[in-house]
Amino acid sequence: MANVRLQTIHKSFGSNAVIHGVSLDIASGEFVSLLGASGCGKTTLLRIVAGLEGVTSGTVEIDGRNVTDLPPERRDIAMMFQSYALMPHLSVADNVRFPLRMRGLGSREEQEAKVRTALETVQLAHLFQRRPVQLSGGQQQRVALARAIVSNPKVLLLDEPLSNLDARLREDMQVELIEIHKRLGLTTIFVTHDQEEALSLSNRIILLNGGYIEQQGTPAEIYARPDSAFASSFLGAANLVPAIIEAGDKPVAVLADGQRLAIAPDITTYGSTTIALRQEDLLISDAGRPGLQARVRTRVFLGSRNRYVLQLAGMDIKVLASTDRVYADGAMVTLSVDPVRVRCLPR
Amino acid sequence: MVKAVPPWLRVASTLLVALTVLFLLAPLVVVIGVSFSESEFIAFPPKGFSLRWYEGVLTSNTYLASALASLQIAVLVTITATLVGGAAAVALHRGKLPFSRTLAIVFLSPLVLPTIIFAIGMLMFWSRVFGPVSILTLWLSHTVVALPYVIRTTLAVLAESDPFLEEAARTMGAGRLQRLWFVVVPQCVPGLGAGAFFAFNISFDEAVLSLFLRKPDLTTLPVQIYGQLEFSPDPSVAAVSAIMIFLTVLMMVVIDRILGLQRFARS
Repeated sequence: MANVRLQTIHKSFGSNAVIHGVSLDIASGEFVSLLGASGCGKTTLLRIVAGLEGVTSGTVEIDGRNVTDLPPERRDIAMMFQSYALMPHLSVADNVRFPLRMRGLGSREEQEAKVRTALETVQLAHLFQRRPVQLSGGQQQRVALARAIVSNPKVLLLDEPLSNLDARLREDMQVELIEIHKRLGLTTIFVTHDQEEALSLSNRIILLNGGYIEQQGTPAEIYARPDSAFASSFLGAANLVPAIIEAGDKPVAVLADGQRLAIAPDITTYGSTTIALRQEDLLISDAGRPGLQARVRTRVFLGSRNRYVLQLAGMDIKVLASTDRVYADGAMVTLSVDPVRVRCLPR
Repeated sequence: MVKAVPPWLRVASTLLVALTVLFLLAPLVVVIGVSFSESEFIAFPPKGFSLRWYEGVLTSNTYLASALASLQIAVLVTITATLVGGAAAVALHRGKLPFSRTLAIVFLSPLVLPTIIFAIGMLMFWSRVFGPVSILTLWLSHTVVALPYVIRTTLAVLAESDPFLEEAARTMGAGRLQRLWFVVVPQCVPGLGAGAFFAFNISFDEAVLSLFLRKPDLTTLPVQIYGQLEFSPDPSVAAVSAIMIFLTVLMMVVIDRILGLQRFARS
């Protein structure tokens, strides 16, 4: 368990700069997610912490020690790969024992005891003799997790470990990761492009965009107050609508077609800006009620909900609505939203 | 939709398969048949049945000496070709060497270069630089010819392997030598095994190089067979061939058992 400190990390591959001066402090025992779309530099950043990639400039510290020039095998870390990277020629037990064996930690008996504990942690103790190919994807992943925690590394690095699992297994694994993190308290850096995963797992989310840190904060903070168009479109897939803010006792946002939308009084942005409206915060009701008038373009049935694509002020607005009431294509509807849920983005 | 195969094409393809099998197996049948012949001459179908040619071969000093020479060279070639070819395949797979594409072409060139050209060149080169040919000459030149097979089979298994295994091993504290021994070599084993099998067989029945680089006291089995056939043809040649066929089949079964089992465990 240790803290991690990145100082003004720059990374270029040839002439292609992918990380532009990222600095980051991760406290001991913290679970941090690096969240972003593909190509944002999140995996590169993780590989820099692991030592699998060098830096162009900047320093990496683990546990107060400058490890920038240390190869991965001397950094006392553990990493879980997207492909799991289990050794196909070794049994489950030998796979989990691999890091202990390579580092020469303890006698064979001590190693085997640790392997048993790690496999029990991921509930796979009974499969210790199997080969990786004889396991399901979910089981392989648990083996990879056991292998990552067995040596009690200073930092646990997870590179999109859940992306190859189907939806149900993924939910189970999320719960398991949370519980293991609670129990072991390992400093964990988790790379994902899935905002839900980041929101549900981490103590802190680092939102990356084009090699910069776009925003960081606790999941609650970053979800409630995305402070850029990118952050709000990435987290919760908000609709971004250009508007002009009119101040007053009851401030309003005026849309391009002149419709007015009440917003919360604690705004700090005035004039022409962008407002973010989350799909799940918008309510649809029959036409003519107080609120914004919009036209239904398409409805997509999602099982528990309907997603509507509405036309409002010349834009497509996506709304998640209940399935109680169905509006036909082309119908006019009223769109309303709680004023405190309207987020005015800084210009 | 898959269209039905027209009847003429079905007949033609069946015929093609039948002819292929015929031309692969018929010579073996003839050789084995002749080897049991009672006659002094090579004739098919064989006249009578006897094991006299087998007895003759197994008690003949010239055959046994040349078989021993072939075996010696084949074992040496198998070892060097597997070691060098395995190392070359790993390096080529990583592709980090300068000119690795060019190197790959050079390493694989014995597959397409006519052996006779290589044999003539080797003979001239060796006599000029090192003097008279020796077992070392055959060892090295057979290794060159066998190398591409080991490289090909090893590259094939490496291409299937998870490219992140070595990185994963690094994050688990494995240094360079540990990664080589605990990650790279185990991955290569099926390819090395298959390559070693090829290398042994190529060396053991290699005739062109052995013919050019022979000496009175260094005659390999294929050269001995060739000489026998040229100067005093009798069914002993067939008996030697039948023994070689039997040994090859035996080796294939054994290798397939070992590699086959391993593949079963892998996939």
